[in-house]
Formats: sequence, structure tokens, C-alpha cells
Amino acid sequence: MIFSELYSAYYNAVALILKQACDHPLSKAELRRIVNEKAFDESLLKIEPALLEERWQLLRPDGTTTLGHIPTMPLTTLQKRWLKAILLDPRIRLFPDLNAEELWAQLDAEPLFRPESICRFDQYLDGDPYEDENYIRHFRTILDAIHHRTPLRIEARNKNGEIRTFDIMPETLEYSEKDDKFRLYGRGRRYQYINLARIVRCEAGGGEIAYEPEKENQLPQRTVELEVLNERNALERVLMHFAHFEKQAERLDQNRYRVQINYNAEDETEMLIRILAYGPLVKVTSPDSFADLIRDRLKRQMACEKG
Amino acid sequence: MAYSELIKNFDGIRDYMREFYLYGFKSRNEYTKKSARSYDDERRRVESWLKDYMGFRQTPEGKNIFISIDSRVSRHNPLYAAWKTKSFTDGDITLHFILFDILHDSDTALTLAELSDEIDEYLSEFGIPRMFDESTIRKKLKEYEAEGIIIREKRGKAIAYRRAEEILPVPSDVLDFFSETAACGVIGSFLLDKYDAEEGPFTFKHHYITSALDSEILCSLLTAIEEKRSLSLEVIQRRDDRISESQVVPLQIRSSVQGGRDYLMAYVPQLERISSIRVDNIISVKTGEACEQYEQHRGELEEMLPHLWGVSVLGTAGDSLEHVEFIVQYAEEETHIPKRLEREKRCGTVEMLDGNRCRFSADVYDSIEMLPWIRTFICRIISFECSNKAAERRFQDDLEQMYALYGLEGGEGE
Repeated sequence: MIFSELYSAYYNAVALILKQACDHPLSKAELRRIVNEKAFDESLLKIEPALLEERWQLLRPDGTTTLGHIPTMPLTTLQKRWLKAILLDPRIRLFPDLNAEELWAQLDAEPLFRPESICRFDQYLDGDPYEDENYIRHFRTILDAIHHRTPLRIEARNKNGEIRTFDIMPETLEYSEKDDKFRLYGRGRRYQYINLARIVRCEAGGGEIAYEPEKENQLPQRTVELEVLNERNALERVLMHFAHFEKQAERLDQNRYRVQINYNAEDETEMLIRILAYGPLVKVTSPDSFADLIRDRLKRQMACEKG
Repeated sequence: MAYSELIKNFDGIRDYMREFYLYGFKSRNEYTKKSARSYDDERRRVESWLKDYMGFRQTPEGKNIFISIDSRVSRHNPLYAAWKTKSFTDGDITLHFILFDILHDSDTALTLAELSDEIDEYLSEFGIPRMFDESTIRKKLKEYEAEGIIIREKRGKAIAYRRAEEILPVPSDVLDFFSETAACGVIGSFLLDKYDAEEGPFTFKHHYITSALDSEILCSLLTAIEEKRSLSLEVIQRRDDRISESQVVPLQIRSSVQGGRDYLMAYVPQLERISSIRVDNIISVKTGEACEQYEQHRGELEEMLPHLWGVSVLGTAGDSLEHVEFIVQYAEEETHIPKRLEREKRCGTVEMLDGNRCRFSADVYDSIEMLPWIRTFICRIISFECSNKAAERRFQDDLEQMYALYGLEGGEGE
């Protein structure tokens, strides 16, 4: 059962409260801080009186606990089955500090699923080479540098195949399930992304990173406004398809809806073709510049048809 | 019953959260499936769990609540919070922590009577000590045994209970990544909750988070696939809220990383063929017997895969495959176009015709399913042919309508 109190925010918050109370008498302020961090907006209204009024008989009035040990719970079978399933994923080899064979042997449960049980049918076919030793080494070097906030010197091929050198302070690794690729995001002379599969060399260290804000060409967030005609279940498809963006929808009449989507300007071409996929069921109403991009493609298509 | 931010059943909140997250344009009066009071309570709960992501818009019809999340910014799926809200009794939580404190390592094994005595001792310090009778403790131990966290073993003639063995700690990076990318990732999120909350190193693009709400259903489907069992499903038709029941043999989950939907591919004995069912339309799963013909049905699916563009199996009832073929043109320097076709072709074939034209072709069960993808090449398509003439017509009609929609010459006019 996934929906179980064993995994609940309340149990987690109380475990942390009792952990602190094992160490020292817990103050009300500390209790409140833990609940606010670990549980929800209104949780304090329930957890604090339940513990202090001894309905949950775990905490003494002086803030110490009757427990003799820091609270822990073994893994449930469900958790073991899930862990066993992810050990079968080829991307597991990217992670250092994981003794996969020993962990596999310790997990006395069958995997929840196997790779062949799930097919991502529209994932791109040129995903990253997760079993390539150089790729794995670069991934681990970057991961380590993100954790330790240390700079990297990277040599990577650009889209024309030329090798370029970057000194960069890595911030995150971005993964796209659609592309099945990782990209490093970090600050060099400006903020930039580097595709991991294009890296030919990656080492800790590198020169001093002189961030030059004036070189920044990070593109801003933009908004596109669509009018959706709800035929062929278009509304649900559009809202689902663009669900990973910040968006808002409103009804215009019985069958027409306005949808506003915020997107990063670097993804404009991608947005454009994603909107084209809906054909006449989705019309760009704003901004005019975006509608013109669609119009331009349609004009070129008309020319293709005329030969 | 007094309001609580915790809930006993997930089914009700699954629908509300889906509505708030996906649609977000309905006013209170339009949530007619349950009472207005029920709407108010569920809205208040979701606000409590996800306050940073909730918004509202005032309209003439009333206040419209929505959940808005940019999944590229948020490093963990906020919808997982809903799975951490199961209600419990005062006795449940008290007993839980005392029980695992008594059984603090896997060498400590006690009988029910010994456990009962120890629990009383823990509680004796309180003004009005709570009492747990042996049947309550036995019931809780049985529940935990089923979860795999308590082991029951014989000690002479008596039964003793101990906690399950601990395992190697899993690096938090592994959990950070797979809790967002693996199926039933919420389970990884439960594991991650035990770690100090440090921001993980990963962010995610094109990240669909809605399927988190279907985790329990997906977990049951995957378990049945693993155990090669039949299932009885209750499936809702969203158009008219009609619920139907069907017996199926689950074979594979097909997940769209570009559309955010998960589908179950299953053999349906009543139809005598393989069919696809949207996971978010499944409202209950009842596990049945092991299926003796499982491998045979799985083999049938394998044979279908080279002709499945997505999940539609419309043509599998004996009709012939549909042939789709189109040619795109591009400038010499636009080498990204043939590359795009190659990486997006799925079961199709790409053939270079010359330096600036290539042909895509495929034989599929349902060509209509391909049209949205083919439209993404609008501005380059110099020919499109399909053995399904209705699909060919739809493609052409849609283009004409688009020309008209944007006021272009040759269209039907606005």
C-alpha cells in the first residue's frame, strides 16, 4: 500500500521531534520549527496539542521522551521492491558510492517492475550513452563538483563538432525524459548549459571563473496565449501536454478556452512546433510575434504544396 | 465529522487534485459530484499541503482554484505531498514509536506478552496511561508483518517478533533522481524523507508530474505484470462519467514522455485482443489469478510493437496495416531536420532522397495517431500519402482550416 501512515508527513515530523528529544529537552519553538519544516500548513494545530496533551504518549512535559533510542523504521517490502527495480535501470551506474551488487543481495524482495515492463514510446532515440565509461566518469566528476561547489574545466564539442574549453561553476544537472539526456547548468563567464554527451574532457579545478554579467544572454520567461477549440478532446490533450509549464486556463464559452503558458524563450521553436501539432484546434492569440511565427510556417507550407 | 487535513481514502482527493492541476477553471458550483461542503474541505486540504503552488482567479461565476507548478524549477514533485496525508488514530502513532523503540535492533525478539508488558511500562509515566490490549498489539504486529517491517519467528513453542534487518544506506542522489524519473517515484520520495532536507543536484525538463496521482493504481498494475496475474479493473469514461468493469491480462505500461499520459497495454479476453487503457481512467484494481497464457499474450504484444506508433490498436482486429509516407525538404545547412526525423521516427523508416529531401514511411495500426507529429513538420512537407484516405483528408482539411484561422490566402476565411 502506497497510501499508508507509515510514510506520512506526520510520522516523519514526530520521528524528528523524538530524535531531538532523545538528545535534549525539546522546546516548544523547536517542536514548531520541525512541524513547519516537515509537515503541512495546518499540521501544527494537530501535532502540538496531541503531543503536549499526551494523546500521543511519547513526550514528557519537560520535553524529553520516554523512548530510549532515536526512532528508526526498517524498509517496507514496497520500498525494497522499488529499490530493486531501479537497480535494473542502466542509469544506476552513473552514481558513485552505491554498492549495487551488495544492495541487490540485501533486498529480499522481487523488483516492483523490470525495464521491459515500461516503454516510453515517444522518447527520442538518440539518448545519452549511460554505459560509456567516459560518460560515467564525467557525470561523477560533475556530481561531485556540484556537491562541493568546486569549479570544473570542461572541453566539449559544440553543435558544429568543434572542441571548446569552458571554466564553469556547476550548479545543477538537468535531465529531460523526452530527450533522454543530461545537461550541465552552471556559471562561467555567463550562465550556460552543456550537453553531457558532448563533453570530451572534464576535470576538477580550472581557471578562475570571471562571471561577466554583461555577457549574460539568458533569455527571459515569455508567455503565449492560446485559444483552444474543445473538439477531439483537444482541451485535455493541450492541458496535459503543456502541464509541466506554469499555466492558467479559463473558459470563454461552451466549447472554447483560453490557455496562458509561461515558457523559457530558449524553447520558443520547440513551443512553436508543439502548438502546430494541434492543427486548427489551437490558435495563438497573443503575442502577435508568436502568431506571426506560425503564420510564416503556414505560408511556407502553402508554397511547398504549390511546388 | 470535524475537519482534518489528513484523509482516510485517496480516491476523492485524486479527482480534485487532477481538476485543480490540469484544468483550474471550474468554480465551486461546477464540482457537482460531491457536496459543496466536501469541495470546501478538499480545497482547504490541498491548500494546506500545496500552499506555495495554489492560486485562484475571481470570475463572475465565483472563485476558481488552480494548482500551477513549473516542474523545471521545482526539484521534487509537489504532488507527492498528497500521498503523505493518511489519517491514523492516537493509538496507532503511540504504538508505532514505542514498538520500534522496544524492538530497536533486529536481534531483539519478544513475544506478544513481553511486548505488552514493556509497552505498559513506557506508558506508565503518563498521567492517564493509555492501555493497549494484546489483540490491538497483535493486530498492529500483523499489519507490520504484511508491510515487511516486522518479522515473526518461532522461539521454542512461542512466537516472537523482531524488526526486519536494516540494509545499506542508499545515496540521496540516487533517490533524488529516481524519485522523479522512475515509475512510482513517490516510493523514492518516502525514502528521501528520511534524509536531511538538502536541495538535490538534479533539475528536470519536460517533466510530467500528474501521474503521481495514479501511483497506487500503477503500483498494482506493475505488481500484476511482475506476477503475471489477471486483473479486474473499474474504468471511468470521462465524457459521461460512466464506470465499466473489465477483466484484463496486464502486459506493459506505455508511457508518453511528450504527452504526460500512461497507458496499460492489456489482453482483454472479452474482446479477444490486446487493447490500451489510460491509467488515469482506472479507478480500481482487483488482483486475480495467475494467467497461464501470459507468455503467449506477451508474445502477441511483442509482435505488434513494430507497428505501434503510440498506443492505438484500432487496426488490430484483422484490418490491414496503414501505410504512411511523407517527404520533407530542407536547406543544405538545415541538417538538424533529418537528424530530428531519425531520433523521432519510432517504428518508422527515414530514407535520404538527396541533399535536401528525405522520406519518412511507416506501416502502423492507426495512422490518425501520427498526424499531430507529422504536423510538427509543417513548412517542409512536400508530399503526404496515406493508405487510410480519411487520415489523408483530415490532414489536408486541418491544413486548410489552419490557413483560414491565421487569415492566409487560400484558406476558407475566418
